[in-house]
Amino acid sequence: MVQFTVEELRELMDNPINIRNMSVIAHVDHGKSTLTDSLVQKAGIISAKNAGSARFTDTRPDEQERGVTIKSTAISLYGSLVDPEDLKDIPVKTTKNDFLVNLIDSPGHVDFSSEVTAALRVTDGALVVVDTVEGVCVQTETVLRQALGERIKPVVIINKVDRALLELQVSKEDLYQNFSRVIESVNVVIATYFDKTLGDVQVQPDKGTIAFGSGLHGWAFTVRQFATRYSKKFGVDKTKMMERLWGDNFFNAKTKKWTKIGTHEGQTLERAFNQFCLDPIFRIFDSVMNFKKEEIPKLLEKLEIKLTAEERDLEGKQLLKVVMRKFLPAADALMEMMILHLPSPAVAQKYRMETLYEGPPDDESAIGIRDCDPKGPLMLYVSKMVPTSDKGRFYAFGRVFSGTARSGLKVRIQGPNFLPGKKEDMFIKSIQRTILMMGRYTEPIEDVPAGNILGLVGVDQFLLKSGTLTTSETAHNMKVMKFSVSPVVQRSVEVKNANDLPKLVEGLKRLSKSDPCVLTYIAPTGEHVVAGAGELHLEICLKDLEEDHAGVPLRISDPVVQYRESVNGTSSMTALSKSPNKHNRLYMIAQPLEEGVAKDIEQGRIGPRDDFKARARVLADDHGWDVTDARKIWCFGPDTNGANLLVDQTKAVQYLNEIKDSVVSGFQWATKEGPIAEEPMRSVRWNIMDVTLHTDAIHRGGGQIIPTARRVLYASTLLADPGLLEPVFLVEIQVPEQAMGGIYGVLTRRRGHVFEEMQRPGTPLFNIKAYLPVNESFGFNADLRSNTGGQAFPQLVFDHWQILPGGSPADKTTMPGAIVETMRKRKGLKPEVPGYENYYDKL
Amino acid sequence: MLYIIGLGLADEKDVSVKGLEVIRKAERVYLEAYTAILLVDQKQLESYYGRSVILADREMVESQSDDILASAHEKDVAFLVVGDPFSATTHTDLALRCRQQDPPIPTRTLPNASILTAVGATGLSLYTFGQTVSMVFFTDSWKPSSFYDRIAENAGLGFHTLVLLDIKVKEPDLKAMARGKIIYEPPRFMTVAQCAGQMLEVEEERQQGVCGKEALAVGVARLGSEDQKIVAGTLEELAEADLGRPLHSLALCGKKMHEMEWEYVREFAVDQEKFDRIWKADYAGKG
Repeated sequence: MVQFTVEELRELMDNPINIRNMSVIAHVDHGKSTLTDSLVQKAGIISAKNAGSARFTDTRPDEQERGVTIKSTAISLYGSLVDPEDLKDIPVKTTKNDFLVNLIDSPGHVDFSSEVTAALRVTDGALVVVDTVEGVCVQTETVLRQALGERIKPVVIINKVDRALLELQVSKEDLYQNFSRVIESVNVVIATYFDKTLGDVQVQPDKGTIAFGSGLHGWAFTVRQFATRYSKKFGVDKTKMMERLWGDNFFNAKTKKWTKIGTHEGQTLERAFNQFCLDPIFRIFDSVMNFKKEEIPKLLEKLEIKLTAEERDLEGKQLLKVVMRKFLPAADALMEMMILHLPSPAVAQKYRMETLYEGPPDDESAIGIRDCDPKGPLMLYVSKMVPTSDKGRFYAFGRVFSGTARSGLKVRIQGPNFLPGKKEDMFIKSIQRTILMMGRYTEPIEDVPAGNILGLVGVDQFLLKSGTLTTSETAHNMKVMKFSVSPVVQRSVEVKNANDLPKLVEGLKRLSKSDPCVLTYIAPTGEHVVAGAGELHLEICLKDLEEDHAGVPLRISDPVVQYRESVNGTSSMTALSKSPNKHNRLYMIAQPLEEGVAKDIEQGRIGPRDDFKARARVLADDHGWDVTDARKIWCFGPDTNGANLLVDQTKAVQYLNEIKDSVVSGFQWATKEGPIAEEPMRSVRWNIMDVTLHTDAIHRGGGQIIPTARRVLYASTLLADPGLLEPVFLVEIQVPEQAMGGIYGVLTRRRGHVFEEMQRPGTPLFNIKAYLPVNESFGFNADLRSNTGGQAFPQLVFDHWQILPGGSPADKTTMPGAIVETMRKRKGLKPEVPGYENYYDKL
Repeated sequence: MLYIIGLGLADEKDVSVKGLEVIRKAERVYLEAYTAILLVDQKQLESYYGRSVILADREMVESQSDDILASAHEKDVAFLVVGDPFSATTHTDLALRCRQQDPPIPTRTLPNASILTAVGATGLSLYTFGQTVSMVFFTDSWKPSSFYDRIAENAGLGFHTLVLLDIKVKEPDLKAMARGKIIYEPPRFMTVAQCAGQMLEVEEERQQGVCGKEALAVGVARLGSEDQKIVAGTLEELAEADLGRPLHSLALCGKKMHEMEWEYVREFAVDQEKFDRIWKADYAGKG
């Protein structure tokens, strides 16, 4: 640990070129937290005052119990390059060899990936951790995609190399092949989400953007480190050496020449990487683990490793750890990789600005962000709320992108629904205090300049989960985060003791604040509902609610799945509804929205705030829309950004713009509660075919148009072969071959199906990918464990929506019909789905 | 038989003798109370008619007309409308539904005075009025300005325009409505001052010189009653004028405004001198 006073730390903050904001991301159990620990122990910054008492790795008790990270934690590290000469290799010139690395350790379990999204938003680089044996898993891909979507540059560490050596006993060449396979699959993902502005971010060992190591044993290396060692010996330039130490490069000891050909006079040459990088490691492993006592001192001397007397007495794994840690300290390798290859805020904000900021790219706020200007207008994004020790209050956690945040500064607090020039969802308040978040501990700090991560006291009452803080009156919002998971599983909660109700209501508010993804609301029936990304996520949220946020005993219902209503076809005739005074008539047709469009909307690639011309271009080019249609999208819904569209296809209707607002309101209402079971609607496109209106505005106000719009939307939906969409999980299971049979049995019983089955090269493990309806997933883990003798570990992540098979939801004898009926009863509606006649008016 | 009976403008005694006779013997009497209101309350009506009256709000007339029409094919039902039934209101729909009933319900209409004619009291000649328009309450996001086009059409021909003003007796709150709840807003009535203000606001936007600050107009309140009030002036002046209790209407003068009309109207002017000056400069002989 490094001891710093707040003043010294504050000084580091002033130099954005020497700051690295980065997150550690990976699949669950690939060893993020262990790796982070080794970094923290070496370089964690601790205020002099707290030294000795502070433990950074201290986490929630349930995190330790379950062995998974639930919340992301931010830690500041101090770093410097071992060799100051290396400063030259940083793309942006700096002379100071002092670096401030703000690191955020995020959860790997898919249910908490909203935490990852929140972490990525405030960082510019990511350390992707991949398990040597397991390789790239579903969550690795998800987080990588998220990172690239936010224009975050990745570097990779291939972790758990010790497992490959000790458990699998692989040869050097096998290990090399294994590494290349992992690297290739990482690069495939990176190539898929290629972003022109971010440029080529493929990771290559010979570029130094990949490290290999073991978090558990605390060692890691990059090809660059070895290149540095050998470049002197061979008298070759370091960059050249790096290239030679990876790929098909061989050193022919006989001719003393480098070659690209793997054989010489019939003899196989050893690959340079194996010979120069892996060989010393294999030797250490071999001699230590096979207790070749006499070899060890020689080896240590050769590698210039000095042990203390006590350490010399160790043996086996203990000795191995010590030796490896001294030989290739993980913190050095990682620190070097991060400092050299991850961008500083000053660099990153230049290309991230347009993806971060909603407003025009040339206003003062945009320029402030672009230049990372501490003197610009304040632009601060709050990405999540962190509970304080003071119950019910939260620190707002975020990053200053422009300007300087200081205690007492009067700022505009803009929530996600704020629109420039309007007053909704906006407060003008003072920042009470700015603080540094160091693990569990906080440290007050006077001000924080652009490019840094901070915590704020006193803004939690004005923001629900996230938002923008600014001093510029013209500032638009920073882009709202899009989560890769959606709250598809819900449970209703009620208090056991009626007097506790106010505490529950307050507790739900706090819960909603403390988690970026959880959704809490009151159902029309009066039930309090909590919705989460998966069973585990929901379980933890409810536990927090019961024990912490509300602190009262609760009765919790069985999990219920959120469905979506949609259509399978086009309306069989144009639906017509008349306004109550009969003077206004709306004609509409419903049709399915292309799945690609719905997905793009949900992932934020197409949205209501885009420029309509650019949006029309995307719809036309990527989804085959007619450009004129695409330019006439009136709105998205529900909640003004959902995956349903209303398209104006009328010709020359007078006064149409005067009723647009009312129709849009009706659309938001209708898409929020569909006609089948009052579930939200999804993936439907409505076309307004014709409108006739009363000439006088007084007879076509909201009171006339809003209910009419809703009726015609319902009628056209019911005429278009309506269907129910159910959420489907992507399940990834790692399992030994002999236990595979059990998996198929369990999946089939639960309407799941396997679509990919692959053996991990060099292991007896199989990787199975399957789809499983969320509704059938409750208790899946336990079922799977009992059927595979506890050998299968599933990861479930929401993947897509699918039409619930089995017939019309309006017919009670079908499965969808039965589900609809239970839903309607639960909501206190009459059990039958209303016919289209209820909403359709005859001409 | 469904009798659609005009009640006139001011109080219970404006009803015609024929109308009163029908009301007294009808099976049920409905009072439509949302397109306009009388200046007296329901009790006063009931005591004068000597019978009870059912208040029919917008929802009842538009969405539950079957209740009103029940058994009307054999019994007499009276439907009372403030003003004249088919003048400034939209009750053709009710009459249409009577025709569609099986068997059809015979209807009869008893006309009465309407604001469309009573506005003659201002001195502006009814012969030179163009299309009538309504002015609705603007909200932050909804400012329908199509009335402007029609005023412009009228102005092009030199016609006066009668502007009817929004009343919200029992209107649902639109924000709550979009969430599926019906909450009624408190009743509101637009004043001449609000109307003039909104006209100026739209003029600012459109800039066609149709209803600018110097345009002459006449505001009227409670026409036909004992304390009726008429105020003339520029729109700018009217935007400051207080005409008291509802209901208000406004007539915008056209360029065809004749000398006789001017002579009559100027008596109501806020600032006679200014009124005369503007009339002479912008109106006299321009139509």
